[in-house]
Amino acid sequence: MTTTATASLVRELRRRLGADNVLSAPSELVAYDCDGYTLERNRPEAVVFPRSTREVAEVVGLCGRYDVPLVPRGAGTSLAGGCLPLHGGVVVMLTRMKRILHVDLRNRLAVAEAGVPNVQLSRALAGTGYHFAPDPSSQVASTLGGNVATNAGGPHTLKYGVTANHVLGLEAVLGDGSVLQLGPVPDPAGLDLLGPLVGSEGTLAIVTRVWVRLTPNPQDYRTLRAIFDTVDDATNAVSAIIGAGIVPAAMELMDQGIVAAVEAAYHFGFPLDAGAIAVIELDGPTAGLDEQQRRVDAFCRQWHAREVLQAATAREREELWKCRKMAVGAVGRLSPSYCIQDGVVPRTRLPEILRQIVEIAARHGVRIVNVAHAGDGNVHPILLFDERDPTQVARVLAAGRDLLEACIQCGGSVTAEHGIGVEKLEFMDRQFAPADLEAMRRLRRAMDPAGRLNPGKLLPSRSPEAACGLAETARNQPQTP
Amino acid sequence: MTQPGADHLPLTELLTPADLAGVADAVRRSCERATPLYPIGGGTRLSYGAVPVEPGVGLSLGRLDRLVDYPARDLTITVQAGMTLAELAGRLAAEGQRLPVDVPRPDRATVGGVLSTSVPGPRQYGCGTIRDYVIGLRAVDGSGTPFAGGGRVVKNAAGYDLCRLLTGSLGTLAVIVEVTLMVKPRPECSALLACPLCDWEHAERLLAGLVHSSTLPAAIELVAGPAWQDDPLLGPLPPSCVAGLVVGLEGTAAEVEWMIGRLQEELGQAGGKASTILQDAQADLLWGRLTEFPSAPAPGALEPVVLRVHVLPDQTVQTVEDLLRLDPAGSVLAHAGNGMILARLSLAPDRVAELLEGRLRPELSGRGGSAVVLSQPTGAGLGPVTVWGPRGPAHALMQSIKDQFDPRHVLNRGRFVFASPTR
Repeated sequence: MTTTATASLVRELRRRLGADNVLSAPSELVAYDCDGYTLERNRPEAVVFPRSTREVAEVVGLCGRYDVPLVPRGAGTSLAGGCLPLHGGVVVMLTRMKRILHVDLRNRLAVAEAGVPNVQLSRALAGTGYHFAPDPSSQVASTLGGNVATNAGGPHTLKYGVTANHVLGLEAVLGDGSVLQLGPVPDPAGLDLLGPLVGSEGTLAIVTRVWVRLTPNPQDYRTLRAIFDTVDDATNAVSAIIGAGIVPAAMELMDQGIVAAVEAAYHFGFPLDAGAIAVIELDGPTAGLDEQQRRVDAFCRQWHAREVLQAATAREREELWKCRKMAVGAVGRLSPSYCIQDGVVPRTRLPEILRQIVEIAARHGVRIVNVAHAGDGNVHPILLFDERDPTQVARVLAAGRDLLEACIQCGGSVTAEHGIGVEKLEFMDRQFAPADLEAMRRLRRAMDPAGRLNPGKLLPSRSPEAACGLAETARNQPQTP
Repeated sequence: MTQPGADHLPLTELLTPADLAGVADAVRRSCERATPLYPIGGGTRLSYGAVPVEPGVGLSLGRLDRLVDYPARDLTITVQAGMTLAELAGRLAAEGQRLPVDVPRPDRATVGGVLSTSVPGPRQYGCGTIRDYVIGLRAVDGSGTPFAGGGRVVKNAAGYDLCRLLTGSLGTLAVIVEVTLMVKPRPECSALLACPLCDWEHAERLLAGLVHSSTLPAAIELVAGPAWQDDPLLGPLPPSCVAGLVVGLEGTAAEVEWMIGRLQEELGQAGGKASTILQDAQADLLWGRLTEFPSAPAPGALEPVVLRVHVLPDQTVQTVEDLLRLDPAGSVLAHAGNGMILARLSLAPDRVAELLEGRLRPELSGRGGSAVVLSQPTGAGLGPVTVWGPRGPAHALMQSIKDQFDPRHVLNRGRFVFASPTR
């Protein structure tokens, strides 16, 4: 964009949203040049803080007139660059739309604006007997709109599913500035647009309001911690549990590297020579839990668990979860920088992918420790490095590429819950055939024909020129300022 | 045996390709001629949707019925679209697993058909619907180009969810040829608890109470009308009662036993009458009756018009009352926990348009609800506006998606909400 066009756009944004709700000074914009994925940065022309769907629609309309790209953003916790303003433009912050509008227990739903942090909804539901099931590790900060954009998961998806299974309705602003409402009551007289909108990373519409399904709290829990000598034993136990028809609420796996980090940081008393630790949680009516727990315990021992401990009290349960949830934070003690990867394989290929990760780490000389949502086959290898050292950065990038490639080779996917963003664009045409990507492009063309919503994300351009073309357009003077 | 589809679709011929290439070839040829192509699975839901008028080619997926891959411990299965639900259930049962989606006439209904029509049944309350289980598919778009969506892993955030986009699209965007589903372990035990409801206020009180039950129902059903009046499975339904409540419970033997006792207590406290408990074979029979309700053969000669209505759960009772007021001799099954109501009308098809357009839809629109015709008897000829209702605000967007996936409007022309191409 030319300086005059930018100034004119900013003036109009200020006039409509109020000066307090528009940032345009370079010193203010620098905080929005990336999200949780910090390897690429680009400064937007402006950042706006709309307070209503109507204001979002006005911003979208205005950006249409100036032909400027829009980047919707919640808490900015994306680890894949989903909020990176790749081609500049206007970052639309949804964080001031943070009202929980309605909790309707009779209909088991809640309605909230897109900027409500996931954990805030959980807090609002405390004492109702219900909860919102998706609980990504970022839940303290990440917003419902962001959860919808990435189809967020968390440790409990094995039993309770991902965000897509819990969204009943959406209100969203389309690329032409019109407002779309879907649900919360299903209407079979039309296409299921909720399906593709969830997980679309802000490229099909800007979600402003969400109707979510509420899930009854389990009556009771049994939480176990099993210590194994090898990762293979642990994954075999997981497989045996699933094979026996037991669906735990969560099955989390930590390998030796991460156990050492947790131990160094928090002194839980874990044996440092353990190959893997599994945290397995069963939930449901109390009546069925003891028997299930006995069976899970037996499967762990059958696969040579050295020790199986169960949390006897709510406090002990919290402790067990604490060691899992603090695991990533503990990594900070091991190295100055780290990068959490997200890949998924069919659950039975888990031993294989974990072995390959060991080989990849050795090959690139990068230290990699692992946490995994073992029940889903979802691995989160954590690559440790020092970002001040460019050769280490290069090795980490190469190792990351190899391990995502390995996920594809195992019949999996390069992302289970973080999304493609810009980070994983290069893998889309490895995971999908050209016709598959073309089908996705057609959906995008139908929903955002002007291509102004979060351009350059999720789908690789067919040619590099196409992306440049978009950038060029964005720099043009608007026709009707 | 009559040719599947012959009754409902204006078929010029029926193709029965044996593989993906054959399907792609058939679609491509229809596309070149810009003439309609009607995909057919088991032929059990061909009366869902408007009656197409333009002659076209029938495309049976019946020969694409193979198992592609079943890694049981991944809790996923990949099958071709023409596999019947009964065949799928048999394969899963051998590994102690199931797809907890209730489908009428499972011996004929196919996986592709179930996905395309997406009509949830009783277990949607506890288990979700088919859209919660589809994780990958292969399909052929309206130009004859094969593509895939999703994958074979239970959690996947790569790219757009084309699986759910195709779910319930009545085969109008693409012909589904292969599906990967997430599956679940079969519960050890299943039971149903039935109790009579004296009046509608009582019905709403019990349903509202179930929201706070400490049990975990798999299904919450409300039954009313002649189809249920003399059903021995439901126990004695006193003539003074307006309806029956049926709650499904599934889990381990210990869980189900505890839930039955607990639910009886809870219903008793809410003023519920003594309930009948069905277990084992009896429970299976009633699950079957609940599942088959929309397509069960009619006792008389004429097939009924069946409506599919969606409202918020707390509007279920009111809507059931309204339906029975508009058609006092009709029968109703409500998946009350989800606000989905199926009504088998006693009215002749020519009176259905007036009922829907003049009475029901105006009342529902105030409650944010929707109503469509789920099936109509052969020859009833209900058109798209009667079947699907007026076009909603998102229609233009949906039409542009249709145009992208099936530019010449070859697939199921005239059955769904899309305009036929101007010629």
